[in-house]
Amino acid sequence: MNIFFVAVGMGLCALVFLVLYRAIFGPGVFNRIAAISAVGTKTLIILLIIGYVYNRVEMFIDISMVYALLNFIGCIAAAKYLEMER
Amino acid sequence: MIGKSDDIIIKTIARIFVPFLQLYALYVIMHGHYSPGGGFQGGVILGASMALLLITHGYDELKRRLPEGALIFLGSLGVLIYAGIGLICLLLGGNYLDYSQLSVILGVDAPHARSLGILGVELGVGFTVMAIMYSIFFDISTGGILPEDQRREDRAEGER
Repeated sequence: MNIFFVAVGMGLCALVFLVLYRAIFGPGVFNRIAAISAVGTKTLIILLIIGYVYNRVEMFIDISMVYALLNFIGCIAAAKYLEMER
Repeated sequence: MIGKSDDIIIKTIARIFVPFLQLYALYVIMHGHYSPGGGFQGGVILGASMALLLITHGYDELKRRLPEGALIFLGSLGVLIYAGIGLICLLLGGNYLDYSQLSVILGVDAPHARSLGILGVELGVGFTVMAIMYSIFFDISTGGILPEDQRREDRAEGER
């Protein structure tokens, strides 16, 4: 079962690079915000998988929860900044 | 950045979200010795919850809940708690921040006193980090000009 989770984590790590392409070259700011948000979500899942592989889920779940909360706040702050620019 | 948001979805989400965020920050501070976290991380989450309120509900609402004088007071109070606990340990005959000396005051044995002393220091760190994080965010987003100063200036401009 561990092999399966490691494989899933590696796959997600590869997918992060695809989204990162959109974050760097993507046309427009909104694509970039969405891409950064998606990277945050993938990081959260990767953290949980790392926690499962090392048998320390209760520790990593705290970190990933903070990551999700700060990701949400960052997304709203970026949206607010764009609204102000208009 | 500090204007009031018109969007009802954002405002409702923030209103539901902020109490859980603050409760989670308290959990991170209190549970710091068993899991990742501690005073700094919990303080950052508390400051982030205040920043979320500032983004969504605007400066006028936040001024009522957390005025700038309170920020300075909280920031100094945290430093006072931290340095005070260290100094009490020093006065009781130990080293600076040698928590086991606190067992005389608290009336428990040394390991318990050490645990409680660390918790007190973490609380102080949490207060300071919360106040300073929020005021950094506030200063950056206003650019140093408070909205009431801006309004007064505009009114003076209009009268002239």
